[in-house]
This record gives sequence, structure tokens and C-alpha cells, in this order.
Amino acid sequence: MKAFKTISLTIVCLLLGVAIAWQYSSVNENLVLAQYEKKSMSQLVEELLMERENNEKLQSRIQELQQEIEVLKNDETTDKQYVEDLKKSVLMARVMAGLETVKGTGLVITVESGGQIKVRASHIQELLNELKASDVQALSVNDERIVATSEVREAGDDYIMINGRQLVPPYTIKAIGDPDKMEKSLNLMGGVLSKYRVYGFNVTLKKDDNVVIPAVRDDGTVIRTDKLTPVPQ
Amino acid sequence: MAKTYKMLMFMVFLLLGMLIALQFRGIINKQDGMSVKEMASMLEAEEAEGEELLERLNDLEAEWSQLVSNIGNRQQDTEVMELIKQRDYEFFRAGLTSVRGDGVVITMQDAQSADGTNDIKDYIVHDGDINDILNELRINGAQAISINGERILGTSKLVCAGPTIFLNRNRYPPPYVIKAIGDPDVLYDAVDQLPNVAIMRLYGIRVDIRKEYDMIIEKYQLYESADEWLSTLEVVTE
Repeated sequence: MKAFKTISLTIVCLLLGVAIAWQYSSVNENLVLAQYEKKSMSQLVEELLMERENNEKLQSRIQELQQEIEVLKNDETTDKQYVEDLKKSVLMARVMAGLETVKGTGLVITVESGGQIKVRASHIQELLNELKASDVQALSVNDERIVATSEVREAGDDYIMINGRQLVPPYTIKAIGDPDKMEKSLNLMGGVLSKYRVYGFNVTLKKDDNVVIPAVRDDGTVIRTDKLTPVPQ
Repeated sequence: MAKTYKMLMFMVFLLLGMLIALQFRGIINKQDGMSVKEMASMLEAEEAEGEELLERLNDLEAEWSQLVSNIGNRQQDTEVMELIKQRDYEFFRAGLTSVRGDGVVITMQDAQSADGTNDIKDYIVHDGDINDILNELRINGAQAISINGERILGTSKLVCAGPTIFLNRNRYPPPYVIKAIGDPDVLYDAVDQLPNVAIMRLYGIRVDIRKEYDMIIEKYQLYESADEWLSTLEVVTE
């Protein structure tokens, strides 16, 4: 009976020791994983979905191009689709550069000081960045088109400079893109519009199906390329 | 004696039971952990595929251009040749062509450690910090800008997403490498003297600026056809 007690106690203690060791090692491992998880679980899913969407888009574009190339290889004279394609790509590049006046669905925002605090270049810049974050295709401030080289500069107490031009308030910002998406991101808690309210700015927001955004002037002063050399593909 | 022994056994078994329960939960948790690992490897595979697709797309674009240009040459079609020239020029101006030139390279890296006296947010690079630098580069005449290889256009998306930033269509972790072509001396001084750069450096965020000569800035990567890109707006011809 005594021997049985000793043996059973030994077994139980052995088990306990193994269990403690096992537990210890798995706690350590979980700590490493938890770090990984905290950093990225929801982010990983989001990134994966985004990457898939990108890849699907690429796939369909690749298929389209392959078909066009087949047509070009087999028969080049019957239809001159490539002439149309070339014209379209020239136009697209000009729109992307800001060299064409465009019309589309979007948002028109006006911002003006409510009296105490002046509207500064940094306030306008913050608004523009927020709009860019919601996938816009064209942007302007007081009809100055925002292009790749557009600066937003503090100039005086009552005006700002964009594309080397003085702009005075009220500032009218136009954006072509999804108006609901833009409005949602502007209205976020702690977002641009809530800050504007704290500053006491007078702000109006209008969705419009026919927002017209003018082209940037094409005299080499805004879009500058003299320091750039194209690298052929 | 028998009482003490029973007590001891009770305690030992209680502990054993708790440990087994804990371990069991640990195993369940670990299965969650596995799916994180799986997710990460799925993402990696998808990213690798994306790179391949991009390369394939660029090859096809080049092949298409070559074919059209051959046809134009063979048929002595001046309209086609003129259009190709025009397209090359407008692509160059729009940022749809890679470019070469002198300028600066700015590398931004989150602070190595936070000393705990301030908000953790003060030790990492934010979209606002990067936008400040971009604006300063533009004020000082930068003609082409890229961040981590993504060409920055007038409407480019640049937004913080957790510890990473979202640029155009893709997400990038730090370090953030901004390249700008312009006058290297002017750009260097402008960024170096930016108040926000001094503040970031105070918090231990590394902002390295160096002049670089004859560097390449990558083109903006299109994911769609011109037709598709133009489908959401209308060009108003005056």
C-alpha cells in the first residue's frame, strides 16, 4: 500500500513537472505570435484583399493587351484600332498631367475664415491631402489645378500661393471622384472638418454631378521638365 | 498524517488540472496563430504574383508600342508616327515615363526606441510629416518625386495605415525613401532646414538627406487601360 502511494505520487509529480515545462514553452511561443498578431492580423487581411484586387486588375489588363497584340500581329490594315488607342493614351496622359479641363461627379468645398483665425496654407494642404486619400482624379483650389509639381505656400496674412499664383479667400476646392467617399473621410472624428469647426471656419460642402476643373496653364512654369531626362522602357 | 497527505494530493491534482486546462487553451490560441502565419504566407505569394504580373504588363506594353511603331514605319503613316511622338512626350510630362536627373534622397526611419515620456505616436513617421517634406520639395522646384519607388503625382494617395503608409495602390513599411529631382543644393538646404524635420530628429526619428546625381525616378504604374481610366470623367474641349 505504501509502495503504491509512493509510486502514484511520483507519477503525479512527474506529470505536473512535464505540464509546467510544456506550459512554459507554449506561453513563450504565444508571446512571439501575439506580437505578430497585434501588429498585423486585420492589416494582413486588408492587405491581402487589396493585393488580390490589384492583381485581378492587372490580369484583365494583360488579357486585353494580349488580344490587341494578336490582332496587330495577324492583320494590321483592316481596322486601325491602334490609332484610336494612341489618341486615347495621349488624352489620358494629358488629363493625368492636368493639361485638360475635365468634368465629372465630385465635391465642391468652400472655406473661409470665421473672423478670428485665418485660413492658412497648411489648412488647405491638409484638406487636399485628405481628398487625395479618397481616390480623386482631379483637384483644384480657386481653379488652380493641383498637378505633380503644385506647391501650397504660405504667402501673407490673407492669401496663399499655388502654382506660383496668389489665391485669396474664400477658397473653393473642387474634386472629381466619389463624393460620398470624400465626404465620409472629411467628416471623420478628428478629421479635417471637425478641426475647421474648432477654428471657426465657414465651410460649405456640395455634391455635384458636373464639377468642372480647369486645366493648368501650359507655359512651362508649372509643369517643369528641364532637369529631367526620359528613361526609355 | 493521512489528512496532510490528502491535502497534498488535492493541491497537486488541482494544479495539474489547471495546467491542463491552460495548456488546452494555449493550443486553441496557437491554432489562431497558425492562421496568422498562413495569412502572411498567402499575402507573400500574392505579392510575388503581383510583381510578376507588373513585369508581364510592362513587357506587353513595350511589345504593343513596338508593333504599332513598326506598322507606322512600314506604311509610312505620318499620323501614327506623329501620335507615337506625342504620346511619348505627354507620358513624360505626366509622370508615366521613368526619368533621370540630379536631386536628393531622403530616408526616414521610425525612432529606435521610445523613452516613454511622450506619446508613442511622436516616435513614428506620419503622412503629415511626409506631405510637409513633399510640399517643401515642390516649393523648391522639384520636378519629379517618388516614395519607395511609387511616383507621386498631383492626386497621389498618401495615407498612414497603422505602422505602414499607403501610396497610390500599395502599402509600404518604413524606411520611407523619398527621391526628388531638382537642384540638389537647393532641395538639400530646404529639407534640412524644415522645422518639422528638426522636431522629428528631436524625437529620434532618423531623417537622412543626401544629394544624389544621375539617379532614376520610376514612372507611375498604370493598372488600367486609357479607356478605363478616362471612363469616370469627361474631357471638356474648349
